This record gives sequence, structure tokens and C-alpha cells, in this order.
Amino acid sequence: MIPPSPDIVDYHEQTPEVKERFTQLKQRPVVLSVDNVTKDFPTRNGVVRALHDIDFEVYRREFMCVIGPSGCGKSTLIRILAGLEIQSEGEVLLDGNPVAGPGPDRGMVFQTYTLFPWLTVKQNVMFGPKMTGHMSAEIEADARQWIDMVGLSKFENSYPHQLSGGMKQRVAIARALANRPRILLMDEPFGALDAQTRAQMQAYLLEIWRNLDITILFITHDLDEAVYLADRILVLKANPGEIDEIIEVSVPRPRSMEQFISPEFIATKHHINQLIHPEQKGDGPVLHFPRLTEAGDDVE
Amino acid sequence: MGESPSGKKLKVKEPWFAVRRELPSHRASVLTAISFILPLLIWSAVSYLPFLWHPDIKLQLSADRKDVTTVYTAGDRVSKEFFPEFQEAVRSQNEELEAQLKSDDPLAGSSESSVRRANKKVLRHLAPVLESNGWITSEQTKEDELIYEAWKDVATGKRKLKSPGLSEENIEIAKQNWNAMSAVSPVYDSDNFISVPLLSLVPQGKPSNPDYLPAPHHVASSGLEVLMMPAEGDRPSMVQRIGHSIRIVFGGFLLSALIGIPIGVLCGTYAFFSRLIEPFTDFFRYMPAPTFSTLLVAIFLANDAPKIALVFVGTFFQMVLVVSNTTRGLNMNLLEAAQTLGAKQSQLLTHVVIPGILPSMYNDLRILLGWAWTWLVIAELVGVKSGLTEFIESQGRYRNFDLVFPVIILIGLIGFFTDQFLAFLRGIIFPWTKEGEAMSSHPVAKVILFIPRLIKKAFSSKTSPAPTPQAGQP
Ligand SMILES: Nc1ncnc2c1ncn2[C@@H]1O[C@H](COP(=O)(O)OP(=O)(O)OP(=O)(O)O)[C@@H](O)[C@H]1O
Ligand SMILES: [Mg+2]
Repeated sequence: MIPPSPDIVDYHEQTPEVKERFTQLKQRPVVLSVDNVTKDFPTRNGVVRALHDIDFEVYRREFMCVIGPSGCGKSTLIRILAGLEIQSEGEVLLDGNPVAGPGPDRGMVFQTYTLFPWLTVKQNVMFGPKMTGHMSAEIEADARQWIDMVGLSKFENSYPHQLSGGMKQRVAIARALANRPRILLMDEPFGALDAQTRAQMQAYLLEIWRNLDITILFITHDLDEAVYLADRILVLKANPGEIDEIIEVSVPRPRSMEQFISPEFIATKHHINQLIHPEQKGDGPVLHFPRLTEAGDDVE
Repeated sequence: MGESPSGKKLKVKEPWFAVRRELPSHRASVLTAISFILPLLIWSAVSYLPFLWHPDIKLQLSADRKDVTTVYTAGDRVSKEFFPEFQEAVRSQNEELEAQLKSDDPLAGSSESSVRRANKKVLRHLAPVLESNGWITSEQTKEDELIYEAWKDVATGKRKLKSPGLSEENIEIAKQNWNAMSAVSPVYDSDNFISVPLLSLVPQGKPSNPDYLPAPHHVASSGLEVLMMPAEGDRPSMVQRIGHSIRIVFGGFLLSALIGIPIGVLCGTYAFFSRLIEPFTDFFRYMPAPTFSTLLVAIFLANDAPKIALVFVGTFFQMVLVVSNTTRGLNMNLLEAAQTLGAKQSQLLTHVVIPGILPSMYNDLRILLGWAWTWLVIAELVGVKSGLTEFIESQGRYRNFDLVFPVIILIGLIGFFTDQFLAFLRGIIFPWTKEGEAMSSHPVAKVILFIPRLIKKAFSSKTSPAPTPQAGQP
């Protein structure tokens, strides 16, 4: 749980360097613009509004995280951005052009493993360029570089079932990047990984992001992950899915795991936590447990 | 690890019965062996242990009964209940005869020639026993001179019948008959054959199973004979029959795969085709294929065409539905991922759907091939009977079940080994599946996988080396 010590710093407070970074960020061109997007799902019990009036922008080379309670429409949002779902109202613009259907300019990494089991690691990475009409001879060397970048050179001829979960997601990242997308959309890509692998993958992703001209929109439900990775965090609330707040993370870059206990980090996390779980402001929820044992010891 | 506090080695006992848990490989193979040995043992036990079942008596020696038209010959089976009755009838017939011989009228009004004819029959009743003892060959069963000699040897005790032997009462009868016969002529003389009635030998037999359950050794020996059966006139040899049957199964099956798979894949991929084709297919498959047989003969006339068509009708509609279901079972996420990677609609079909469903479809086809074998039996009875089924049909009608069984087993073996081979091949064709991994180290797999690699190598050496593109820019 998060220690209740928010009075150390205000999460709004930014050092001059951080302020400068955000000023620069906002001067960059807008890669992705989401204009008043609303999504309704028709169901048997009437229309379910999954997203309501979502409006935000992502700047070039920005790392933006989306966080929110389960069922608030995070996946729906990213699927609309990827073109896998069509919004009911509003518009999505990529570099100023409206998005219509899925395309190689928006790479996507899914939470579930979506490598093609019949292709080797290298063939998986070459899949996108091949679909967009490049010759195999051209793209093979390119694919090798991407595989090398995610540290899987030894496995380029392995099949996905021979890889661990973390390795599979690394290949998925390489596969998405091989298309040179304008933006990388990631829907809880590390959700199924264990804590250590996940920490490794986060560091990996930051390293890749720093070295490539790539914009990332990253969905997570993990507060640490969001604050550790993001420039800005878009907090959604549920029923219907609406933007609660867009937070500029005041933790300076480059980031490291040591910052997890820095005051800015904790303050930001605390703030988001209160947005997502407002009921925890007081003494916490009162749960009624049946008395199960006669032990009677008080563990706290 | 493995040490209990008391210092004793803890041995983890693996249970034989655990829900959905694979057994260790040695146990699994033992059970696999037993799965075949057990039925064979049961069959052998029922065949060779006379106290198990054996509801019939197989006659080794038969006799004619007066005024009864049903004639049993050696080799026939009679029920266990009826056999003593049969023996009793012959005995009392003999008693009557003895009384008659002592009376004033030993011929009881019959003519000498008719008595002589009846006596010759009695003489020959011993022939089957002589044959199985090896005293005469199967061609000599009508050579009365030899049989006459044999009667003499049996009666005088010069030679003894062993397998089967004669019962005491029958040896007694043989002696009596021989005394009477030798008094007329010491050697066989057709014209001067005894004209006072001879006693009948009392039927002998041993417990046996009905003819529809031949014993394993019997099936094995006649199996070899059946397999080697040469062509005779317009009767094809067994090998030709097998070839014919396989042609019909695979002809019908491949035809329905050729048409059914593309339609099934289209139905599973596009709702348009699914709605257009599947409802009718679903209805049609409930009409049993054999009901179309006369129709198919009318359309395709004689020979193989209607037979192949029947196998086709039997498998095609199932194939469309099964393949479309398998296609629909493809993980939707793979299709979405492919789209975000830039695959267009047409590419989805060729680059995701088809490679993605191949392993499951391969298994579907294995099951459907089993169906095709089932339809074969009906197909071969359509129009002009042919192939293995024709043999089973005709031999079965003569109750030659020892010839029928090997052919039934043969069909089973062909189907079984085809399927096992295809299962083995699956791991080689689809190295990305779990089975494939285990398979890739198999020697046969290595040879098979070597060929495409060789071809690839030959081609890749001709193409120019790829230009090195840059990875992402900072
Ligand atoms: N195809 C659909 N039909 C009807 N309702 C849907 C559909 N897809 C999503 N929803 C509804 O939209 C809402 C948002 O779903 P979504 O999957 O986007 O949530 P999420 O934020 O990704 O949740 P989680 O954190 O659990 O992944 C949910 O209430 C869900 O029931
Ligand atoms: Mg989700």
C-alpha cells in the first residue's frame, strides 16, 4: 500500500528542468489527436457507453500512459486508436489525417501473446514489412537488427512456443517496430509477466524509446509502471469512461528504479491512487469477515 | 530433497489414476501394448479353453439317421444339447438293426442293391477321420479300396486311429462290421459288396465355438492364404482388391477434400459464405449417404464412379462444416495483430488464416479419412460389387468366416497404420507445434526436413545479398 505521506511535495510541483522538458514536449508536433471520441456498445440490455467525450493529444516522442479502474474502457480506447474498433462519435487523427481501420502506421502490442506460431522469430518480425510489399531479401537484415535490439539474436530461428512470456513480448515489440510505425500502442503488454521480468521489460522499453523516434501510448493498471514510464498519465474513470485528469509526471528523466521512493514519485502515485480509488480516502472499506478461528491473536 | 527427517529415502509414489494427468512413458507404453494384447488374449481364451463358451459340437464322425432328411457330415456343428440326442438316435437305430439281423428277414423288405448302397455310405463315414489321421489324403476320400483296408486295420487292431481316435463303442462296431464284410470279401469289391445291413458308427465330435468365431491360429493361417490369393479368371487377386479399395477410399476422400476444404475455409473466414452455404450443408449431411446409392448408380452408371461418388457424398458435407468450424476457431487476436501490422483483407486469408488452421485441419482430415473407410464398405456394394467388401460378402454368405476375419482385420490395419503414419507426419510437417518439437530430432524427420532445406539453399545462393537497411534512427 502507499504510505500516506502526500504532504512531502505536491505532485504538481516541477523542478525547472522538468518544466523545461514539458515546454519542449508541447512544442513538438502532435502525432495523435483524439477529438471528442465516444463509444457506445449496443447490448441486449440497451446501449453501454464505454467511452464518453475523450479528448487529448499525444506529442511526437512522448511516452503517454493510460490508467484507470478495470472496465473503464482502456482497451476500447486503444482498439479505436488501432482501428480495430470504430468510434460512435468523434475523430482520431494521426499526423492530422483521420484514422480509418487498422494500419502499419500504428503498431500494436497486445496483452495476450499474438506471435504467429507457425513463423519463426525472424519471420514474425518480417511479417509486417512483407505485408506492406517489401521484398524478403531487403527486410531480412533489417529484421535481424530489430531482433538484436531486443536481445534475441540467438533465438531468431526459434518458434514462439519455445520462448518464455517475456521473450514473446520482446519479439512482439520488435515486430511492431519493424514497420516503423508513427506510434506504438501497447495494451497492458507486461500484464501477464512476473514482477522481475516485468521490471526488466520496463527498463528495456524505456531504452528503446530513448533511442528511437517513436511515440508510445501505453495502457496499464499498475501505478508504479505508469509513473516510472510516462511523461504524462491519462487517468480514466469508469461508467462511462471519461478523462479524469491528465497528469504531467514530475519525476525527472532518465528514470531508474531508485526513484520509486523519491517524494515526487510517491506523491504522483498517491494522487492517482486517490483518483482511481476515491473510497480509500477514509479508513478504507469496512469488510465484515466471519470469525474463522478461535486463535484470537491480533496479527497487527 | 527426498530425505525424510527419519533419514529414510522418501519415494514419491506416482498414482496410476490421476485426473487428466499423463502417465510416465514406460507405463504408457505398457498400457498401449496391453490394449492390443488383452483383446487377443480374450479371443484366444474363448477359442482355446473348451470350458469357456463352446456352445457347439463340431462333428468328426457323422452318421445317417433313418427317415430323417437333415444330413450332418463331418465338420458340421450341432448344438451341445442336440448332440447326445443325435448319438442316441444312431445307437437305437443300431439296436433295431441288430434285432432285425437276428430275425427271419434281415433285409426288412429292402432290396439287396439298396442295402448295398446304404452300406457303401456307412463305409465312407470313416473317411473324414482317416483323413485327419493322415491315413488318406483329401483326394482319396472316395477311394473305397483304401477305406476298406482302413476298416480292416482298425478292426484287427493293426493300426490305431489317434487324432481323433475312435470311441470304444465305435471300435466294437468296426469289428462287427469288418467281420461281416470280410466274410463276403477280404478286399473291396464293388459288385460283391456286403448286402446285409451294416451298423452305423456313432457320431463323434468335440466342443467348439460357432463358425462365426474362428480361432486366432485359424484366422492367421487362412489370413496368409487369403492375402496371397492369386487372380483367377475375372476374380482379382487379394492385392488387386486392396488396391481397388484404397483407390475408392482415397479417390472419394481427395475429391471431397479438394472441393470441401476451400469451401470450408471460405465459410469459416467470411460470414457471407457461411450464411450462404452452411445452412443447406447442415441439412444435407443428415441425409445418410447410402440412401443416395441407387441415384448415384443411375447418374454415374457402373464401375468405380458411383462408389467414389458415395464416399464423396459421405465425407464432403461433414468436411465443409468441420473445416469451417476449425477456421472459425482460429485465435481472433492473431487476425487483429496481423491487421495492425498492415495485412490487408486478402493477405489475412493467405498469410494468417490458412497457415494458422493447417495443424487442426490436418487432424480433422485424419478423422474424416476414418469416415471415408466406413463409407467404403457400402460403396463397394453399390452397383457391381467389388474390392475387399465383395470378398467379405461372398465368403460370408458361404459362412467362410475364417476367410472373412482376415479381410476385416486387414481393413482395420490399413486404416490404423495410415492414421498412425499421418499422426507421425504431422509433427514433421508442422514443426512449430508441440508435437513438432519432439519430432524434429527423429531420424526420419531429419531426412524429410533436409530436402526442403537443400532446395532452399540451392535457391538462396543465386539471390543477391540483401542491402543493409538502418534500424530506427535516434
Ligand atoms: N464488444 C463489446 N460489447 C459490449 N460491451 C463491451 C464490448 N467491449 C467492451 N465492452 C464494455 O466496455 C467497457 C470497457 O471495456 P474495456 O475492455 O475497454 O475495459 P478495460 O478498461 O480495458 O478493462 P480492463 O482493465 O479489465 O482490461 C466494459 O464495461 C465492457 O463491458
Ligand atoms: Mg483491457
